[in-house]
Amino acid sequence: MANQTPAVVMDNGTGFSKLGFAGNDSPSFVFPTAIATKGPAAGSGGSGSGRPAVANKPSFLTGGAGPTGHLSAKRGTEDLDFFIGDEAIAASSGPGYGLHYPIRHGQIENWDHMERFWSNSIFKYLRVEPEDHHFLLTEPPLNPPENRENTAEIFFESFNCAGLYIAVQAVLALAASWTSSKVTDRSLTGTVIDSGDGVTHVIPVAEGYVIGSSIKSIPIAGRDITYFVQSLLRDRGEPDSSLKTAQEIKEEYCYVCPDIVKEFGRFDRDRTRFLRHVVKQPGGREVSVDIGYERFLAPEIFFNPEIYSSDFLTPLPVVVDGVIQSSPIDVRRGLYKNIVLSGGSTLYKDFGRRLQRDIKQLVDARIKASEARSGGAKSGGLDVQVITHKRQRHGPWFGGSLLGQTPEFRSYCHTKAEYQEYGPGIVRRFALLGGPGGS
Amino acid sequence: MLLLDYQNVLIQSVLTERFSGAPPVSIDQTVSDFDGVIFHISTPDVKTKIVISIQIRCYKDLVRYGAEEVLNREYGPYVIPPEPGYDFSIQVDLENLPESKEDREELVKKISLLKRNAMAGPFEQAYQEHYHLKQEAAKFTSEEAPQGVREGGEVKAIHYREEEAIYVKASHDRVTVIFSTVFREETDRVFGKVFIQEFVDARRRAIQNAPQVLFRNDPPLELQDVPGVKNTGTGDIGYVTFVLFPRHLTPQRMPDVISHIQTFRDYFHYHIKASKAYIHTRMRRRTADFLQGKQLLFIAYIVKLAANQCAVLRRARPENEEKERKTASGRTFKVGS
Amino acid sequence: MSQSLRPYLQAVRSSLTAALCLSNFASQTAERHNVPEVEARTSPEVLLTPLTIARNENERVLIEPSINSIRISIKIKQADEIEHILVHKFTRFLTQRAESFFILRRKPIKGYDISFLITNFHTEEMLKNKLVDFIIEFMEEVDKEISEMKLFLNARARFVAESFLTPFD
Repeated sequence: MANQTPAVVMDNGTGFSKLGFAGNDSPSFVFPTAIATKGPAAGSGGSGSGRPAVANKPSFLTGGAGPTGHLSAKRGTEDLDFFIGDEAIAASSGPGYGLHYPIRHGQIENWDHMERFWSNSIFKYLRVEPEDHHFLLTEPPLNPPENRENTAEIFFESFNCAGLYIAVQAVLALAASWTSSKVTDRSLTGTVIDSGDGVTHVIPVAEGYVIGSSIKSIPIAGRDITYFVQSLLRDRGEPDSSLKTAQEIKEEYCYVCPDIVKEFGRFDRDRTRFLRHVVKQPGGREVSVDIGYERFLAPEIFFNPEIYSSDFLTPLPVVVDGVIQSSPIDVRRGLYKNIVLSGGSTLYKDFGRRLQRDIKQLVDARIKASEARSGGAKSGGLDVQVITHKRQRHGPWFGGSLLGQTPEFRSYCHTKAEYQEYGPGIVRRFALLGGPGGS
Repeated sequence: MLLLDYQNVLIQSVLTERFSGAPPVSIDQTVSDFDGVIFHISTPDVKTKIVISIQIRCYKDLVRYGAEEVLNREYGPYVIPPEPGYDFSIQVDLENLPESKEDREELVKKISLLKRNAMAGPFEQAYQEHYHLKQEAAKFTSEEAPQGVREGGEVKAIHYREEEAIYVKASHDRVTVIFSTVFREETDRVFGKVFIQEFVDARRRAIQNAPQVLFRNDPPLELQDVPGVKNTGTGDIGYVTFVLFPRHLTPQRMPDVISHIQTFRDYFHYHIKASKAYIHTRMRRRTADFLQGKQLLFIAYIVKLAANQCAVLRRARPENEEKERKTASGRTFKVGS
Repeated sequence: MSQSLRPYLQAVRSSLTAALCLSNFASQTAERHNVPEVEARTSPEVLLTPLTIARNENERVLIEPSINSIRISIKIKQADEIEHILVHKFTRFLTQRAESFFILRRKPIKGYDISFLITNFHTEEMLKNKLVDFIIEFMEEVDKEISEMKLFLNARARFVAESFLTPFD
């Protein structure tokens, strides 16, 4: 082919899907990973079996030769009648459609829905012929290899895609950090702090491979911060304390402070730090909401969870330190040196700086203690560096876009011919993109 | 989703957002469309001037058949010299937009149809030729018409994909549009055959006024003298012919018919893939059925296995209960599942 | 159709029931090994004569018994290209998930579409007549599924063609 078609990068997360073309600096489409189909919602569904429930057979399975003529032509087209993304949310509020989320906890649970979700993303939104394009998909860490095989089966058999690469989200997030000026060597060793809407993961990665045994997750993430802001607004009896308002305040005004006690004092001395936020209510009325201490208190629940939660009390820096300490000793230095943030809930101002300082304190205290115990030996110290960069919000997607546009990307993909030669097992192994030997 | 849209959704959404008065930002996006078309939306100089460029594989063919006139007609004041590496560019100045909301929407719509309009050139030319020939032919009876009128216009070949092409030919009573199709994959070829057969039959059965659809594996007579069309004899290239009759050729219906017929190939491939997806769904369900039947059958087996495994697990993991945890907000989730 | 199908399935059922007479039998060539003899083929004296039951040249079952294992291969009816593709897709889909079926062989015997391998360990843990039921039911269901998928494909193709051509009307 004279001109190469750009690779398609798809990052399907639990909450949102990020779709776009490699080489761009932001995804072309970001919409909820939701699909609305005819019929009622599956309810809680997906009990973890990984297989769609054996539902009652639809009518076309039991019905033999139905009435012929125009009616029969309409038969069996229910599977085309669905919406995805924002349209799905809109359709599900009307009658007749039920909303489903095919991905739970990062992993695909309903393959039927996912297959149709992909089909629609490709043909309706991205508007590409999958036969002409290579695809880069993402998966969560510790995704079972069977899921990869199922994904490959769909992409090669249903869509005949030209080539497929499946990368781990955390590794892509590391690659995304290469745009930061602080990163000097393009290594794929580092600790990824991925905080989305539902849960925060701390994932150590060594040379492009996830250290699965050391991954820790924290049940505090974006949604919890929003709830916390909301509860503060309610306590003060603000005129508007809807979840949407809380979210707007969170996204627009919140930041991380170095010390809460001093910050309280600073607020009390300087009244200009209190802000007002104007909310447009559906009726067209405008309501003004006061914003006070929640500006710095809300993100503080990462560092002092006890102000919000009663059953999870370990601060984020301690968790990160623990994760690195539980990793193999020979990579710990690299993990401390390259702590990369990813996901929407890490975007607060000074989040990285505070994290770096807190982890540094923990590390220094430990070094000091061991120096004292050893009786006079001197430690060379340990570098702790938290990397923040501009592409944090869609870190994994951007990493995918970065790697997908490299000229050697295509040679790392598995092609349809290879798939047919070896079977789906081929996708269990991928050469490490961007790793040693790469660019 | 049944029919494909004619417009590019991304261009549409980007421009709608930009035109709605949002603060200007710099854009630099490369976007793909069907048939290897590449768009580039960018703000090279200032944030308020958006440049949209298109790159089409067959642009040379299109220019030969009058694409430039169509594009100049549609985008007249917005056209700028093409960006390097692209075939055609337009520029929209956000500070100089149409006043009314409707006009703006119209402009968005028009720009998102860039690919459609670029491809429309040969079709429009064929329409014009058809009108012309019709007038000519009206002067003669069918026997004594001069050679040129009876044979119709030249065949316009658009090589819109690497291996596939569209051929358009006008004559005095019809316009013929021929798609050559290639299937690289066995399943697709068989599915495609079933689908095309129904296209061919549809007119006989239900929709009498639809264009006539013909299918054959060797080049149709219309294409006999066209360079580059060869009869491979192996039958892996198929030719789908749409015959547009005068009722489809009225000037009022021209835009719709042109938009619609362009989407044929992608529509066709989309539905082959959608059927495969659906067959997968059925197979998954059937496999689950089998497994359920099998589960009853293997109950003894499973109970025994499970008992063994439980014993092993219990010994190996004393803290087996700590699987479920509460989040800070009170929801529960599983650890390490 | 089911008129001629019933005796065919009946024949398969009785042959299978008779053939599923397996006992534990250690390998004679490798010490402390216990392998399915029908696959290993190292001791000809424990292999029995294979048996083919055919309804016509397109539909047949091959039963290969041995002392501790039995291999059943099925050729599913394929009247035309479409059925051929569908059978191929479906059997591949099933063999992909062979581990959850226990008795499904990952690769069919040459000339057949799908194969099962039942060993004495399977018959010890499961009811023999249920196993036979499963295979028979499997054959029936696969046939039904293939013809339904074909019907679906035709109906879909018609629907798709008509909805593309309707706007021209």
